[in-house]
Amino acid sequence: MSYYDVDAILTDAEKVPCRFELDVPYLGHLDNSSGLKAGTRLNLPLWLAEMFALASAGQDASPPLTLSLPPCLSEQVLAALKADPRAVPLRDQSAYFYGVAVRMLDLFDEKELSAILRNTFVVRAADVGLHARKAEETGLGGQGEEFLRGLDEWERRLFRRGHEGVKGAKEWTDNVKKS
Amino acid sequence: MDIDDILREVDPASHGISLETRDLQALTRLWVAERSAPELLNWPADGLFERVNSKIKSQIERIEDMTGDMDPKTNFALIVIQTELERYKFLVRSYLRTRIAKIDKHTLHYLSTETLRQRLSPTELAYATRHQALLHNHYLSSFLSSFPQRLQNLNDTAGNVSMIDAPDLDTAVFVRLLRDKDVFGRGTDVDTILPAANGDVLILRWSSAKGLVEDGDAELV
Amino acid sequence: MYGDLGIKLVQHAKRTQNLAHLPPYQTELVRAVTREVRDLNKDVDDLLEPFQGSFDPSEDQAIAYTLLVNHISMRRNKRCLLAYHRTRTDKLEELVWNGVDVVDLSGQQVRDAGASRGSTGVASGDGSTSSLSPQEEDYVRQYGDLLAAYKGQWTDIDLTGSLEPPRDLFIDVRVLKDAGEIQTEYGAITLTKNSQFYVRQGDVERLIAQGYLQKLS
Repeated sequence: MSYYDVDAILTDAEKVPCRFELDVPYLGHLDNSSGLKAGTRLNLPLWLAEMFALASAGQDASPPLTLSLPPCLSEQVLAALKADPRAVPLRDQSAYFYGVAVRMLDLFDEKELSAILRNTFVVRAADVGLHARKAEETGLGGQGEEFLRGLDEWERRLFRRGHEGVKGAKEWTDNVKKS
Repeated sequence: MDIDDILREVDPASHGISLETRDLQALTRLWVAERSAPELLNWPADGLFERVNSKIKSQIERIEDMTGDMDPKTNFALIVIQTELERYKFLVRSYLRTRIAKIDKHTLHYLSTETLRQRLSPTELAYATRHQALLHNHYLSSFLSSFPQRLQNLNDTAGNVSMIDAPDLDTAVFVRLLRDKDVFGRGTDVDTILPAANGDVLILRWSSAKGLVEDGDAELV
Repeated sequence: MYGDLGIKLVQHAKRTQNLAHLPPYQTELVRAVTREVRDLNKDVDDLLEPFQGSFDPSEDQAIAYTLLVNHISMRRNKRCLLAYHRTRTDKLEELVWNGVDVVDLSGQQVRDAGASRGSTGVASGDGSTSSLSPQEEDYVRQYGDLLAAYKGQWTDIDLTGSLEPPRDLFIDVRVLKDAGEIQTEYGAITLTKNSQFYVRQGDVERLIAQGYLQKLS
């Protein structure tokens, strides 16, 4: 991951549900209270939550908070992805869906989640490629537009690359024909 | 009859044709490889660019000498030389620009160790050092100077993301085998060993291809 | 909460990446994020003050975690600020490579911004407003000098020339804007608007890049 990468920084700003396990009186600004109490639940951005979950002050102290999976990776979303990956507009879940998911998989050992996401990416990537080719040949139809709207940032980049590739190849063959 | 034949006719005094042809081949190879590899490759140490540069200079001078001449035969030769010169200049320009783009992207990385610095030409090294200093100054005068002292560095590798960005060596590249060889390629799930023959073109990670290219077993395409 | 302003800057950077021009520098936002870093640092100093340099994290976890949050937040803000400025310098460097005159550029962008926002354009009519910060204007000048020095090592190549492989030595061009007289090997040509010429590509590349000439295929 690159330090200056704008997309990486925005991915890091996505929120994750956390539960504090101890009182921290000085951190009231995080939930606009006079001090954080143990048991408080709040959503923290990944960049903060991750450091917190990994940190522990003493040798055998437990982490000060526990993380859970964000709503974009909830049971319902995963069930829908299992049924048909193409039917879910990922962007509505998170513009950085895969970015967040990969970060969560670094923290959680979730074999099934990993398998579902992988299948989702592969199935959808094929469709992204198809649309990239179609966009060059015939322009986008209504259905294609709907699908593209639901792409997360990784998939958008894939689409742009695919489209540029198709376009470049077309230009090249046209040039060869001419000369 | 190709351009070299014409040139030989135009310039009977030139004896260095074979070296020049070799240089052009070397330049073309370097250019192709530099454009394909995700990281900066070594600057050629054998004086190639000094030779290329003086060749370009002498061609420009020759063109200037010939320009006044209205003889149609000279005029044709002039166009051939100019075309060749433009191609030469393009190769050098594109090669240098590809390198500068890589250096600009990961300046601190290429300046960070002596081995990496040696990949740069002296001019590139001066450019990179100065560019980095300009950037740091710009950040300092824009906001960084009012930060606490310990947060003013740009080369902090503590924390979960290193500030020194490095190129991704696992980027896929295409290589052409120059001799028969069992090629080892790292994959996501499994690694493979693939028996490949001279002339085969493979796609694999640069981290797996690098050794082959450096040993002359394969070339980037 | 801490870091939210930083994200705004990065969102600006993200938009900037997809724009052809450089939007106005976010002076206020940069200042606010920088102030946040100073405030956080002051909190750290205040928290540590009573301990006189002998703070043991395992003895007071609440303070330890507060310090951690403050540190990470400072680093986070630094990263946002750097990414924002880097995105802009990348863009500025690209403009320098393309031979755009930057003094020209800042004026022109203000006009563009005014035009695209219609008559309500904030900056229109005021010659002193620029989309560049004063520091950025300095940077562009210095980078321009650096590039000139580097190019000077390769005078015969013209490093900022076309990166399209050459196909034809001579090309047809149409003049889009009056560009005055230029010198070629075949004598001087006066480029007046709407005229067409058959010229050596190498002679006019800069003028094409700068939008004076259009290449006809």
